[in-house]
Amino acid sequence: MVAQMIEGWNLVIGIEIHAQVNSKSKLFSSSPTDFGSKPNSQVSLIDAAMPGMLPVINKFCIEQAVKSGIGLNAKINKISIFDRKNYFYQDLPQGYQISQYKDPIVGEGFVEIETENGQKKIGVERLHLEQDAGKSLHDQDPNFTFVDLNRSGIALMEIVSKPDMSSPEEAVEYVRKVRSILRYLGTCDGNMEQGSLRADVNVSVNKPGNELGTRCEIKNLNSFKFIHAAIVYEAKRQIKLIEQGESVNQETRLFNTQSGETRSMRSKEDAHDYRYFPDPDLLPLTLDDDWIKGLQESIPELPDQIKERFINEYSLSSYDANIIVSDKATSEYFEDVVKNRNPKLVTTWVTGELFSILNKKNLIIEDSPITSKQLGELVDNIENGKISNRQAKEVLEEMCESGKGALEIIDEKGLSQISDENEIESLVDNVLNSNPENVKKYKNGKDKLFGFFVGEAMKLSKGKANPKIVNDLIKKKLSQ
Amino acid sequence: MEFDKKSLLKLGKLARISISDDKLNNLSKDLNSILEFVDQLKEIKTDQVDPTSNSLNQKLEVRDDKVDTKNGAEDILENAPEKEMDFFVVPKVIE
Repeated sequence: MVAQMIEGWNLVIGIEIHAQVNSKSKLFSSSPTDFGSKPNSQVSLIDAAMPGMLPVINKFCIEQAVKSGIGLNAKINKISIFDRKNYFYQDLPQGYQISQYKDPIVGEGFVEIETENGQKKIGVERLHLEQDAGKSLHDQDPNFTFVDLNRSGIALMEIVSKPDMSSPEEAVEYVRKVRSILRYLGTCDGNMEQGSLRADVNVSVNKPGNELGTRCEIKNLNSFKFIHAAIVYEAKRQIKLIEQGESVNQETRLFNTQSGETRSMRSKEDAHDYRYFPDPDLLPLTLDDDWIKGLQESIPELPDQIKERFINEYSLSSYDANIIVSDKATSEYFEDVVKNRNPKLVTTWVTGELFSILNKKNLIIEDSPITSKQLGELVDNIENGKISNRQAKEVLEEMCESGKGALEIIDEKGLSQISDENEIESLVDNVLNSNPENVKKYKNGKDKLFGFFVGEAMKLSKGKANPKIVNDLIKKKLSQ
Repeated sequence: MEFDKKSLLKLGKLARISISDDKLNNLSKDLNSILEFVDQLKEIKTDQVDPTSNSLNQKLEVRDDKVDTKNGAEDILENAPEKEMDFFVVPKVIE
């Protein structure tokens, strides 16, 4: 539907991701960064911008920014500069945000995403460090705005993409990929609900062959769903304006998560003039070659590399590998289970049955009621033929409810599958002998009766017979 | 650089400072003389010199990622002209 609405138009999308550094204390002060604390309980004199307070940078945050830069295949700048971005707003007591303007800590890089048409490289323009602002509550009182400065001064990495995305799906894939890389690196927890990772999306439309259109920026999108919906809405809005002979205003817009619409946030005459200049309180940040090298060596295996390894080592399809590596916890879980087991079977059980249970219960894999060890035990029993796939599903559900192990449940329920050929042969003989009429019909060409014999044999075994052996034996006997 | 009244009013607006009409003339004259002074710096040839954002020959001091909670909400709000339920209270801001 999206493609239809937008047919005949190019979409040009660029994204700024704000990712909160996974630090205990703020970027320039020692206040804690915990989420959900009592309002204004995590505010130092520096965060409140009391006169005479001086910022001192958090070493850990510098490290995380550089690590993230390495993960984004980006150039690390050995000299970077902190600037003041001046604006007047109630959530910014300093009157300026300390950010990086002309000389960011990380320069150009790229990430690769999966699209309908295969791999696509999305350019990263830069990554810089900056302070987060406080939080304003506008709905507590009809006449006043309430301000909580707990978030003020928390370290953010702003990751700016090049305008390389051309569909809402690509935009979502890009944010997913960056989030995944940061989570593998441990530099940002990627929790979008709590605002640890949010995206500003720039959208413009133009007719193929024409000049680029005027772009609008949609601020503060904190879920993949909203990113997608906001881009679709915004693209349609702009196309409609142009088709009606009007023009698109360059502006900042807000996405209403209830209505799914975007609306103008600041009018043009109030366009910000940030008057950037180097912060005289902070010297240039210089990084040492050896130090950068040390960090490079500490970088863990990242999703692209793990994906390649899974494809080579376990012969996974690119599609399955992609699903599994997109989340660090999932790939660790998968790897725990797959050791010395059939990868195809393990993939099916992790991405199929386990995921559907987690979805149903709205759980993340870290909180899975089935540990990787328990799932492994279940897979073992499928692999050695003790239980069928169908029985295994039953066992998994029971494991989930009772917390018991697979073997225990199989024994308790007497579920174990009959794989003994002699035993099954006598079942099959029994069925064929008691249905001589049907055997005759089958042999005269009524092929459909094959299913009937299998069904009867399974019924006789109370569903415990190994269906493959039953099939094979019946085929053999009937062709005799 | 000429600092006209229009630029002065814009600057005032960005800083949320109201400038009354009778002060406009004097203020823009003052600011212009500052800018003229700064303009003298442009006479120095700098095309062979790297940009300097700080004149001190020192490295940026860093600190470890350690939490220190010296102030509670009560302490920090003590300086607030208006407060309620641990929040700073400011005039209504409409986005």
